[in-house]
Amino acid sequence: MLEADAEVDRRDFTVRAALTVAPGERLALFGPSGAGKTTILEMIAGLVRPRRALILLRGRVLTSTDKPVTIIPPWRRRVGLLRQDPGLFPHLSVRANLLYGRSGSDAEATAELRELAGVLGIDELLGSMPARLSGGQAHRVALGRLLLSHCDALLLDEPYTGLDASLRRTLTDLVVSLVGERGVPSILVAHELAEAQAFADRLAVIDQGEVLQDGEPGEVVLAPATRRVAELVGYTSFVPLGGQPGTPDGQVAAIHPDRVEAGRHPDRGLVLTGVVNSCRPAGALWEVTISTGTATVTGRLSEPVATRQEFVLTAVHPPVFGTGGELVADTPRPVGRGARRAGWSGAGSTGTGRTGTGWTGTGRSEAGWSEAGW
Amino acid sequence: MAASPTVTVTPPAPEGGGPGGAAVPRGLRYANRSLALAGTTIIWVALLGPVIALLTHLSWHDIKASLSAPGAFEPLILSVESGAVTLGVLVLLGTPLAWALARGTLPFPRVWEAGVLATLLLPPLVIGLLLVFMVGPFTPIGHLLSGLQLSATNTFLALVIAQVYESAPYYILGAQAAFGGVDPRLEQQAALLGDPPRRVFRRVTVPLAAPGLAMALAISWARAMGAFGAVVIIAYHPTALPLQIWTTLQETGLFSALPFALVLLVVALPLPLAAYIWSARARGRRRG
Repeated sequence: MLEADAEVDRRDFTVRAALTVAPGERLALFGPSGAGKTTILEMIAGLVRPRRALILLRGRVLTSTDKPVTIIPPWRRRVGLLRQDPGLFPHLSVRANLLYGRSGSDAEATAELRELAGVLGIDELLGSMPARLSGGQAHRVALGRLLLSHCDALLLDEPYTGLDASLRRTLTDLVVSLVGERGVPSILVAHELAEAQAFADRLAVIDQGEVLQDGEPGEVVLAPATRRVAELVGYTSFVPLGGQPGTPDGQVAAIHPDRVEAGRHPDRGLVLTGVVNSCRPAGALWEVTISTGTATVTGRLSEPVATRQEFVLTAVHPPVFGTGGELVADTPRPVGRGARRAGWSGAGSTGTGRTGTGWTGTGRSEAGWSEAGW
Repeated sequence: MAASPTVTVTPPAPEGGGPGGAAVPRGLRYANRSLALAGTTIIWVALLGPVIALLTHLSWHDIKASLSAPGAFEPLILSVESGAVTLGVLVLLGTPLAWALARGTLPFPRVWEAGVLATLLLPPLVIGLLLVFMVGPFTPIGHLLSGLQLSATNTFLALVIAQVYESAPYYILGAQAAFGGVDPRLEQQAALLGDPPRRVFRRVTVPLAAPGLAMALAISWARAMGAFGAVVIIAYHPTALPLQIWTTLQETGLFSALPFALVLLVVALPLPLAAYIWSARARGRRRG
């Protein structure tokens, strides 16, 4: 168990973190560059001095600014840190690198080294020097070195940024399985959501040093706690709902480009009608921008559409935010049928106008999307 | 070949390229390259010229005559001894300073660096003069030394002091560069893997800085061996190798001094050469 409750002063803001990571649990800290994610890791590793902190790892006090003041130096914390640069010692062979942080009997270490090298797929490289390794191999060795040192917590600071996608996936899967096997609490810092989700079973969204939301990886995307979180997890368009019957002024629906469908599906969410501004390929999809009159909405569709034409698309269960940016209605989750949440009190009117935000929930239920909802 | 008549054969692009490479006529490019080669050769020969001159002007007879004189080897032994002590002092006192300069842990780092540079920039002769006023018999330090039955004028101690002053900046600045080349993140990683600072220094910092440290040490050895300016003022006696050359030159002339010049080179150069070869090999090993 890793428990950290701390504040660190940075030049422009204070990083506040209150995190608990259970043995074997994988927490991802997700946020934009400069949000203070790395600072949190460095504080846990003892490389940054906090203003106020209480950090516990497996019952040991690592840092305590309350009396009695305790600050365990990095070399006695047993915290493993993996960064983007694998940080292998260039003057030592792969084998010596792997055994660097290893104390204990030689026979035992050798046996464990051999087994781990097999799992990591680096048993052919033990005699090589680090300069000879590819990026992926170096990362495997760096991971093996941390695991052989028997650290009590694993901190991963965007380790696989810059590697190609398939390699990144392989390495992430490797970490996930090894961390689970060893029951080590681990924290990954990522500024790409997909990377964070691939790793974590819990996700914390961080911005300007504050934890904005802490939850399941899927929940954070489907029900962002605030408008800021929605922006960070990829919602690009915010459509004002003002003027719709029963909807208070100032509310906005957040549209995620990957959560739209072509056509009118009032039972699936918010129907938007507008004129297509542009349509261009984005990977295997087409990125379409439409103007609804009150907002510009971007969505990725599986088929191209003609520009300057009227087009109808449905934003699948968009979260709605109030004037203060707070979530007033989140989407019913795909899991748990009928797990409706209050807030869609405007449902009932039909789509209005050729161009505009068509608010077309069909049901009369106070809380639901529609009778035929989830 | 049934090539179509409209195909024009373009001459192969000149190799090397460079800015506007294609526009420069081949003859001019050839001339440029020859000039560059000639220039580097001239500089190289000019730099090595004195050594070549030494080797061509030595006669076997002179070497035998000079080196068989009574006490001919005493200055050599003295130089090696004092050089070894000088290196010891440098490693002991200079390494921590070089480390602190490289890591910027000292307050006002520029001031400290300027101090080291000053000793490099002062002419050795001036250093010698100033040392008389610092450690001479009529100074506070001189009094302190005489209280300890020591003297820093015309003694072994004086010789070591003069050599330290002449060689220290070469070691400190070289070691600073060597330490500066060690990635602090590697030291951090070593600490996180459980090594306290002293062990990190021994297991990571020193091995990684070793090629640069060896070069710095070798250069300061050569400087200490050849130290003359400061030595001639505060340590005329006992006679070290450079002074032996000087006095021989004064008393018996150019040709009897030459063998000692050879001795000085033979003593001063092997360490730098060995260090150079060793550090090149160490770097090669790291490349795998």
